[in-house]
Amino acid sequence: MIKMFLNLFFQFFHIGVFSFGGGYATLPFLYDIAEKFHWYTTSELTNMLAVSSITPGPVGINVATYAGFTTSGIFGAFVATGAIILPSLIISTIVFKIIDKFKTNKFVKGAISALKSAGCALLSAVGIKLLFTSNLHLIGTIILVILIGTSFKKKFDPIFYLGVTAFLGLILGHMHLIGV
Amino acid sequence: MEKNFYGVFKTFFKVGTLLLGGGYVILPLLTSELVDKKGWLTSEELVEYYAISSSLPGVIAVNTAVFTGHRLLGLKGAVAGICGMIMPAFIAIIVLASIFNEITGYMSVKNIFWGVGIGVITLLFLAVREMWQKSVNDTFSAIIYAVCLVLALWGKIPLALIIIGALICGILHQVWRKEND
Repeated sequence: MIKMFLNLFFQFFHIGVFSFGGGYATLPFLYDIAEKFHWYTTSELTNMLAVSSITPGPVGINVATYAGFTTSGIFGAFVATGAIILPSLIISTIVFKIIDKFKTNKFVKGAISALKSAGCALLSAVGIKLLFTSNLHLIGTIILVILIGTSFKKKFDPIFYLGVTAFLGLILGHMHLIGV
Repeated sequence: MEKNFYGVFKTFFKVGTLLLGGGYVILPLLTSELVDKKGWLTSEELVEYYAISSSLPGVIAVNTAVFTGHRLLGLKGAVAGICGMIMPAFIAIIVLASIFNEITGYMSVKNIFWGVGIGVITLLFLAVREMWQKSVNDTFSAIIYAVCLVLALWGKIPLALIIIGALICGILHQVWRKEND
């Protein structure tokens, strides 16, 4: 049990240290954990992603809490959530103290710009993997192409995309057009 | 409201509760609470904290809470900010996780999640596009992107190593440019 807590702590702490780019930047690490430790499956994670868009709070926190809770109950939830925020507390505190030096330093700027590209690349890899492992069928692929195509003209709220696709899934499933 | 531990906690608790859809609304929410309603900081300060937070690792909302908390009350404020910010998320997931596995057994729920899977890929695409526009803007960053993508897809190395590699390359690139100036 102690080993489980230590492992939970270590995994989520390392996400807090290495995920750059905000928003979904924690996802590559979360998918990685799913493959390595089986605390949750990749499809559970995708479901969680959708769920976390309609629950309060950032997705990284949501998944940490969920993983901790499903593997080792309420205490596990505390450990995993605490682990993912601890690096933020430490790093942001240090940067706050040296904020003026931090803003103007050339090397910091260089590092940040490289890290943002890297964070973007890791998230792209998640999208590509997800695309090839999801059971989309022809009809799902068509829906995806339409949603992405229209997003170039007008971008809607996340809730819109999730709502529309949830509705389509329900209807198409009812008509037995998809085999889930 | 008083600028003490409880006051800061309560303010961030409210922001954390309203934070739906993945963190992109954090800046307007914080502006309304901290700048417009309470006058605890200026909107320039807040924008700066947000910008720096988004270039640091971890969850942006949490980083921003640490910065603002520090500015208001020091370390005590940072802890109050973090606790307030994540408490609603924590409670919501504990409640949901307990019923999550039961409802996913239903056929209709499975169908809904099949559809939502498409929505999630769409959201990922939008997030990547936005990150791309903000980060990949010269040859150097394009190379970093391409190498990291290949490593993440086919390389059998830990993601953390890819990040450390990018960090070193970014610094070396600056050193190299300085020498050539």
